[in-house]
Amino acid sequence: MAMPKVINIQSDLDIVAARMAARDMAKAMGFGAIDQARIATAISELARNIYLYAGEGTVTVSEVQQGIRKGLEVICDDQGPGIEDISLVMTDGYTTSKGMGMGMPGARRLMDDFEIISIVGEGTKITCRKWKR
Amino acid sequence: MDIINIPILKIEDFLIASIQVALYDMQAIQFKDAVLQKIYDSKAKGVIIDLTATDVLDSFVGRLISDIAAMARLMGTTVVITGLQPAVAITLVELGLELPGVTTALNLEKGIAKLRQITEKNADGNA
Repeated sequence: MAMPKVINIQSDLDIVAARMAARDMAKAMGFGAIDQARIATAISELARNIYLYAGEGTVTVSEVQQGIRKGLEVICDDQGPGIEDISLVMTDGYTTSKGMGMGMPGARRLMDDFEIISIVGEGTKITCRKWKR
Repeated sequence: MDIINIPILKIEDFLIASIQVALYDMQAIQFKDAVLQKIYDSKAKGVIIDLTATDVLDSFVGRLISDIAAMARLMGTTVVITGLQPAVAITLVELGLELPGVTTALNLEKGIAKLRQITEKNADGNA
């Protein structure tokens, strides 16, 4: 199994670095072109959220196994302001004007598993996975 | 910060820009500004933004492309997006980003044909 990769998110350059790391790992694991694009796009959305709303944080990309299925797991972690109303940010079209309001719900649709833990004033941790078919 | 260097080429009345590298947010914004300025300076009737080499289009760049098309329209110029890869088209729709109001074509050649069609029709309408 490939070593987990941690990408520090501090600037818009790191957003591209994070999605490239995720894509490279997805490719190495044998994900098809469409799933590679789904994973890379989801990570781009989540890494941008870290950059825009928390200022900094980390994206960790790793290979996971559950029984016989293999997957790619992405953990986005920040110590930012946290999300007050998670159901609101997961609504299509909700935006704070910096994007199209598609980031969070879109990323959830592109991945298979999607979990958010957020504490106001402490930060947000999003764990998402894509399983190989 | 790197200054973006995407050549914006002029052929007859059209501009053609092909995005070959993954754009950082700042570069994407610079690209938008550069395209609009070039439209103004060159008096182009149409613009093609070719995304054949683009393998990831997220909501930020998606919005920017919509913005460029809308802004160019305000200036009187048509933008056609060409060469979207299947994986990019699938991801965009799943993301919820169908780029309404953005004219697209399968490839550069069909994009130019489409631009000709649109700009000739506009010219007839004005006559």
